[in-house]
Amino acid sequence: MGKKRKAPIPPQLPPEVTEEEVEVSDEDVHFVNENKDYAKLLRRLDTDSITKHVSRVADKKDDDIEALYEKRKKKKSLEKNDGLEVDPVDALPIKTLGGELVYRRVTKKSEKAEKELKESEDATEDRDGSVVKLTKAEKRAKTKKGRKEAKKQAKEPVKTEDVQENPQAGVLICKDDDQNIVKLGLLSLSAVFKDIIPGYRIRLPTEKELEMNVSKAVKKMRYYESTLLSSYKAYLQKLVVLEKKPSFQLVTVRYACDFFGRKLCCTALKSLFTNEGKHGGEATVEAVQLITDHVKIDDCQLHPDSIEVFLYLSFDEDLGKSQSVEGDDSNNRGKKGRKNSEDPKKWKANNKKRSRKDLQEKTREEVDADLKATSFAPDALDRKRMQTETLSFVFQTYFRILKHSTRSTVNRSATNDSFLFGRFGTHPLLAPCLNGLGKFSHLIDLDFMGDLMNSLKMLASGVSNSESSPESRLTVSERLRCCIVAFKVMRNNLDALNVDLQEFFVQLYNLILEYRPDRDQGEVLAEALKIMLCEGRQHDMQRAAAFVKRLATSSLFFGSAEAMAALVTLKDLLQRNAKCRNLLENDAGGGSLSGSVAKYQPCASDPNLSGALASVLWELSLLCKHYHPAISTAASSILTINTANQVYLAATSPLQAFKDLSIEQESFNPQRNSATQNRKRKNPSKSSILSGNELAQYSGDKEVLKKMFSEHFTVIRDISENESLRRELNSTVTSIRLYEEYKQQKKRNAKRLKGKREGKKEKKVH
Amino acid sequence: MKMRVTTIQDPEFSKFVERQNLEQLPRDEAHSDGEDDTSDGEDDTSDQDMVDSNKGGSIFLKNNVLSHSVIESWSEQVMAQQNFSVLPNLLNAYRAACHYGSEDGFDANSCQRVKHSGALCKITMFMLQESDGIFRRMLGIGSSSCKIESILGLKNTEKWKTVKPLIKSYLRSTLFLLDQVTDSEILVFSLTQLGASIVLFAAFPSLLRRLIKASLLQFICGQLEEGLSHHLHFSLYNVRTITLVVSNCRDTCLVKAYKAFLAHCKIVESCNLKHLQFLVDSLVELYSLDVPNSFIKSQVSIQHLAMILLRGVKTKKKEILQRIYNWQYTNCIDLWVRFISANIRDHDLQALLYLIIQVINGVAHLFPWPRYLPLRLKCIQMLNRLSCSSGVFIPITSFVLDSVEYIGNSKPDATLGKDFNVSSVLKVPKQWLKLKDFQEELLLSVIELLSIHFSQWSFHISFPEVATIPLIHLRQFQEKVTAESLRRPVKRFIDQNIEFVEKKRDEAAFSPKDLESVESFVQLKACGGNAPFVQYYESVVRKSLNQDTLKKTRQASQRILNLLSFISLKTQKDLFIS
Repeated sequence: MGKKRKAPIPPQLPPEVTEEEVEVSDEDVHFVNENKDYAKLLRRLDTDSITKHVSRVADKKDDDIEALYEKRKKKKSLEKNDGLEVDPVDALPIKTLGGELVYRRVTKKSEKAEKELKESEDATEDRDGSVVKLTKAEKRAKTKKGRKEAKKQAKEPVKTEDVQENPQAGVLICKDDDQNIVKLGLLSLSAVFKDIIPGYRIRLPTEKELEMNVSKAVKKMRYYESTLLSSYKAYLQKLVVLEKKPSFQLVTVRYACDFFGRKLCCTALKSLFTNEGKHGGEATVEAVQLITDHVKIDDCQLHPDSIEVFLYLSFDEDLGKSQSVEGDDSNNRGKKGRKNSEDPKKWKANNKKRSRKDLQEKTREEVDADLKATSFAPDALDRKRMQTETLSFVFQTYFRILKHSTRSTVNRSATNDSFLFGRFGTHPLLAPCLNGLGKFSHLIDLDFMGDLMNSLKMLASGVSNSESSPESRLTVSERLRCCIVAFKVMRNNLDALNVDLQEFFVQLYNLILEYRPDRDQGEVLAEALKIMLCEGRQHDMQRAAAFVKRLATSSLFFGSAEAMAALVTLKDLLQRNAKCRNLLENDAGGGSLSGSVAKYQPCASDPNLSGALASVLWELSLLCKHYHPAISTAASSILTINTANQVYLAATSPLQAFKDLSIEQESFNPQRNSATQNRKRKNPSKSSILSGNELAQYSGDKEVLKKMFSEHFTVIRDISENESLRRELNSTVTSIRLYEEYKQQKKRNAKRLKGKREGKKEKKVH
Repeated sequence: MKMRVTTIQDPEFSKFVERQNLEQLPRDEAHSDGEDDTSDGEDDTSDQDMVDSNKGGSIFLKNNVLSHSVIESWSEQVMAQQNFSVLPNLLNAYRAACHYGSEDGFDANSCQRVKHSGALCKITMFMLQESDGIFRRMLGIGSSSCKIESILGLKNTEKWKTVKPLIKSYLRSTLFLLDQVTDSEILVFSLTQLGASIVLFAAFPSLLRRLIKASLLQFICGQLEEGLSHHLHFSLYNVRTITLVVSNCRDTCLVKAYKAFLAHCKIVESCNLKHLQFLVDSLVELYSLDVPNSFIKSQVSIQHLAMILLRGVKTKKKEILQRIYNWQYTNCIDLWVRFISANIRDHDLQALLYLIIQVINGVAHLFPWPRYLPLRLKCIQMLNRLSCSSGVFIPITSFVLDSVEYIGNSKPDATLGKDFNVSSVLKVPKQWLKLKDFQEELLLSVIELLSIHFSQWSFHISFPEVATIPLIHLRQFQEKVTAESLRRPVKRFIDQNIEFVEKKRDEAAFSPKDLESVESFVQLKACGGNAPFVQYYESVVRKSLNQDTLKKTRQASQRILNLLSFISLKTQKDLFIS
């Protein structure tokens, strides 16, 4: 990670470096020495800008730094008077025995000034310590900055207060003319944003919220939030704009990666790779290198997306060709390649690491040769060089992944609980790696092919993993992919290599058995069938027959989409191998062709030993009864392949057939024309739960029923009687209440005696 | 009354009361008016003419207290002397009985007169039992079978005009009774009687609607208690007759029944399995009455299911997936599977068949995870059913073997709780997967499903090929599994299969392309009934038969029958081979 970040950034500048962050490596020194142009800028280091900056900060800081500020003012004036220029080399610090960093200055500089400078540094550190939120960001920004000037400008938005006061300030920097300044500005901004982004979700207040009365603190908070948001927005917009400019792409992509997830990062990289022409390729090389390092560091346990972006790289083959016309160089190269390829076994013995080194050496040599040959065409040469470099990185990554996969992963998978395991298996990068190998197979060096094929063979057979835990075993799809890649590699090299592919056929033959429709990827199977069986050379009759038989058998086992792909392949095989059509006929003499194996062995693992020529394709008769109309028609058309001349199915590839029949493609619209007619009932009466009238008569006991009814009515009568009694009770209660009210009124009217008597009477009544 | 006494004694108090009443009265009246309005609204407009027709009767009634003897004499008159003049009285009494206890003013009066529950009982029984016959006699139509047209044809005659109010009164009262009573015995009885006179309903569409509603309500909500299943049968019978007789109500009937089913099938527990099963069977029955018509309905429904599935496949969103792996969805599919397999032999339902198979495949495809194994097993079951009924080939072995994959080395000590029932879950908790009981259960059902599939094609000429890959996988499985309890059934299965496969390796004299001879080969092999193999399937299926559920039983017995018929053909074997 550290390396990745550092690479494109110019080395740090000594004076402002704080002790704990000093990481001045030889590399940096080397860099400065090499790039004197950059270093020249160091001259401006300790002039107005820094002082101004430091003082600014100090000014805002604390009262006691006021004094320092005063001193600095003095120092500044001193320096101004002197008008010093520091030699770039002298600017490098010297570490004393006491561990103190001493910056060599031009001797004219007074001791006092130097002391003050040191003090100022201390002050800066103090400040760093006190600004809680931003220290890290600032430090990082500082250490990363190569030039004082850029630092000076970029630092401004670093402070929260500044951001608050002038949200656009930071973004404004990015409009600076100097590209480097802009870059650094972006960098520091990204650091700042990362640090000050609050842990909660923020958004702009709605209008309603704005109307409400809020406390001062909330208002302040809100203001801060909204300024933060708007400046962040501006920053992102800037990033988007800059992304289109070639010189900024890498930087912007990197910062974008910091903010967004992997996905956006990948899209950014993709656009970087596809628009290579705009930036000349340097960014590509760097990006690819970074990814390579990344894979190396993380030991191939990364998200597949990180490798998948390689697929978007494009390598211009014409580059070499145009040169070959001029320099006749590629002919030589071709010869050289072929010469090496004659002895691939020599390479097999070597381990991966060495071959990779060899590859690098080789490419370097080639580059040198190209350099000499085409020195008059610098542009093409340059691009060629970069391309080669990129390619070497890409293949380096790919081979690393392959090697990683072939290695037994028992102990590793036991200890390494990567979160990626769940979703992508133990070899998350293998699938995109194989895809990439397939795509760029024509660019692989021939010397390297033997090794590649060997490891692919090993992967395809899954041998190396047989003793390891089942989790780390390669899946069927991955193994199929290995076969596919092997074939692609061979084909793209025009079958120049004389490698025996029989092993891959055996693997495919067995993998068809192991394939499970929902578990494994059908597209991969279909592609494998297409590349290995439908295309390419004529097959051995035994092998073709074995595959025909196996495909037919497995189409009874597969779902419809896979079965269709198998049938398409089967048909293709039958069409190209006339003798295999004997499988369609059940003659007693068929055994004469079967050769060494007289009886069909369905479980045989080697297609050549299966004796499939002795079998008959009975499966097709059952497939004619398949529920899927497409499959049943395909099966019957295959059955009549000898007699009829059909064009159907001829054009489709297994892959296409698979896609057409997969459930995602299903429209669920039945063919109405066939359905509407002829749906009349042939034999009208069928057995039913109830048959006719016999149940129309009530079968229960009449007496029971009578009892039920009487109970029912008794209950209802009880209820109604209850209700009427209640009604009566209610009316009585109300009348009593009324009377009591009346009594009270009467009392008020002072007619006591009568009232009392009435009351007594009333009570008696009840 | 008592209040009246006091008021008389105290004139001043009476004045007070009057004053109080004056204050209260307006409020009360307004209140009661409102009530009346709503109750009127519930009744349909034709209520008026019935009351009119009853007026003569009710005057007569008011003078007589209904007693047992009175009713006896009335019914005697109607039944023996064919004197229909007292019928309105009977009907009014019946109405009073039906409305007995309800708050109607008219009934409150009459209720006063019917003192004995015995009398009420008598009148209700009599009317329910006899009125259908009486009306038929009055109208002069045949007793049992009668077409709706004959009723509609009578509509303009003089006879109809006199009888109509009576019929209406009877039907209304009975429907009212249906709403009132809760006792299932009474419900069954009245539903049956209503069912008998269903033709009469044809003239009153609004009443018919009420009948459908009531019947469906009973049909759906009735609990399937022991011995009361016939109750449901009767409601079903009613609905069925309605559909048969009144064609214009068929659609509403079907739609309502389907909707009620949908609402009812959301939860499946071991206790309501039987009821659901019954519901499904009845719905299939209803839909099978008019297949061309229900074809369209089922197509719409299946397409709806398919659309949900499609969205699930495309988006893989959790909320859509939840709409798929619930009981409602599964039961719906099951319903249509049953409908299709019940009718596919007699009707051209190929389009539906294809659709539903794709939907089921899609569901199985969408939930490949082990936790959804019960759902997948159900899918396979349905596919098997479709395959058996339609005779098409549906590959299920890959699904089945997928399930086997999860059967591994279980924890031997951990056992499942007592409430273990795979048939009532779609998704199992994760910890179940490791349990021995669950795995055994799973294996048993896997073997059952496989043997159903194999037994279907066991006499097809390409059977060895059908069995090849599953056999290879099963053998691998057997090597992998260590627990003996899991091993044994598989071992038997494989042995039997191999035996059969080897025996079947013979030479037929034709090629796969001669489809006709392939068909005849099916017969030929049937003659050569391969006893151990067939017996094995039989035993597997019989085992599942013993296990449970009506559904399985049917399926199993069907299979046994088929197998037996194969065996019986054995005698002709020699003829063919020569």
